[in-house]
Amino acid sequence: MPEPQPNRDLRLDFFRGLALFLIFIDHIPENILSYFTLQGVTFFDAAEVFIFISGFTAALVYGRRLAAKGAIYMTAQVWRRAWQLYVAHIFLFVLFIAEVSYTVMTFRNPMYNEEMRVADFLDEPHVAIVKALLLQFQPTFLDILPVYIVMLLIFPAVLLGLARRPAWVLVASVLVYLGVQVTGVSVPAYPQGHVWFFNPLAWQLLFVAGAALGLHYSQGRQFSEGLMRRVLPVAAVVFAVCLVIKVTWTIHGVWESFPGLLLRAFWPVNKNNLAPLRLISFFAAVVLAAELIPANARFLAGRIARPLLACGRQSLEIFCLSILLSALGHFVLSEYNSGLAMQVLVNTVGIAAMCLTAWMIDWYKNMDRLPMLQPALADRRRDAAAE
Amino acid sequence: MTALPRLILIATFAALFAAPPARADRPACEVPAELSQVEFRLPRLAEKLKARQPVKIVAIGGNSTIGTAAGSPELAYPHRLQVALSEAFPGVPITVVNKGVPRQAARQMLERFKSDVIAEDPALVIWETGITDAVRGVGLDEFAAAIQDGTEELKSRSIDTLLVDMQFSRKTAELIDFDKYLSTLHRLGEINDLYVFPRYEMMRYWSEQNMFNFDEVAANERAELAARVYDCIGRKLADAIRLAAQ
Repeated sequence: MPEPQPNRDLRLDFFRGLALFLIFIDHIPENILSYFTLQGVTFFDAAEVFIFISGFTAALVYGRRLAAKGAIYMTAQVWRRAWQLYVAHIFLFVLFIAEVSYTVMTFRNPMYNEEMRVADFLDEPHVAIVKALLLQFQPTFLDILPVYIVMLLIFPAVLLGLARRPAWVLVASVLVYLGVQVTGVSVPAYPQGHVWFFNPLAWQLLFVAGAALGLHYSQGRQFSEGLMRRVLPVAAVVFAVCLVIKVTWTIHGVWESFPGLLLRAFWPVNKNNLAPLRLISFFAAVVLAAELIPANARFLAGRIARPLLACGRQSLEIFCLSILLSALGHFVLSEYNSGLAMQVLVNTVGIAAMCLTAWMIDWYKNMDRLPMLQPALADRRRDAAAE
Repeated sequence: MTALPRLILIATFAALFAAPPARADRPACEVPAELSQVEFRLPRLAEKLKARQPVKIVAIGGNSTIGTAAGSPELAYPHRLQVALSEAFPGVPITVVNKGVPRQAARQMLERFKSDVIAEDPALVIWETGITDAVRGVGLDEFAAAIQDGTEELKSRSIDTLLVDMQFSRKTAELIDFDKYLSTLHRLGEINDLYVFPRYEMMRYWSEQNMFNFDEVAANERAELAARVYDCIGRKLADAIRLAAQ
């Protein structure tokens, strides 16, 4: 998200870029490709990857600022980032209002009165807008940015805590998470009776854990090899078992005669409160990825990784774009047809648009960063070139 | 132009414009075979029908169960179901009680089970649910838990249960993400060995085949269209119930 660092760990960009692609695909309802994304094969999905890596990179970048320029400057920088996200969120919200009010005003069929309640907020725009500004109104698709914004708002305190007493911060974070699991407490939203889809009290654990690891990593420290040797096989087993179970569920969803292992025991796996099953299988995946994929892995420098890296670098812009594109894709598929060819087209065009945009932003930022030549020098060069 | 080609031309035009669309000949409620498959049993209902005892069915649900859009309770699907079932089982008194209340999530419907369902002592409960949950974006597992609790409650009282999923229109499908709620509802049905009546897919099929155009109806034809759709839903439900209660 922040500007590239000289020794940036490409794995972070790669996986965040991948998460953005998957978020786009998963957000299109009835998308055939979504059987093949993380949510089809693991208990967790791209949301966990995105939040965790965001915590990790935030600690890397702002940890450096903290060390170099102090707590107040770091806080100002983090909050400026939160402000950017906030503005992006409000922009997406305006687009959402436009879509809903347009559809509802042109489609008044009493058979669908109940469905049209989705536009109830149009009856009280003065309340709805204020609630949106307060991040309490979170229609479909507009539920992940508010969590991210809240995470950034508390991040300066988290980072200061992690820099001094990491164990305390982690224990506090885990306790809040466990509190949610035990009591089921959630954060109320608008309209009445709604809650935050991503319960920030639960999801903060991923962000804080990511930040703790990111800070640890940026300080050049590593976990002892002995520890990793013991953790790796456990993670591999956990991940493999979860993978097998989830894959049988997905196949079972398509062919009912195929048995879904432990379906009755584990399904549904709670996403709002980040069920332990999601969390555990995600951490297993993190251990595997960190241990088995070296930072200088060859594929990261390859051609295929390039668009993913570009999207991962520009993750705020690409994330907002992906939300917009999936809403548009959903619209196209339900308005025209949802045949296989159309689905492939929508997915391809969407991903291409994301890559192209990321590449343009990359180019622009690089141009911006180039030192400007002195006008006189530029003139002389031009003259020299003309001769 | 000679006479013959002109004749053919005229005939073609006449065929194109004057003839009613071919589909109008088919029965209006037709659906593909895979949507009419029923592999579930309704034992209590079957018993009552066999013994020719009076049968009471409760239809609990939302706006589309009340059927306000059609103009009268006789045109809502529960009543159409009663008519169709009574034709299929002559001599057995069958009543379908309409317990629709608008704008309720599954959990709220569950809260009125005691007064609206259990108190009626039905042989079969038809639970039409999921629209409001999808509109409000209720958490999927909260939605699942409510339905699980409800079906377990009915099972413990050995009341047969059948679920009805959401209704379809292109415009609403653009605004609301029904997909997740549909698959949750169908998976619940499967875990609990319950039949989930695929109203969404049926209505989508009708919409795609242009049998009913849900999107562009003139205001004065809407009630009539709604009544025709509810009638088809009632008939299709009756077919399914007949198969399940054999």
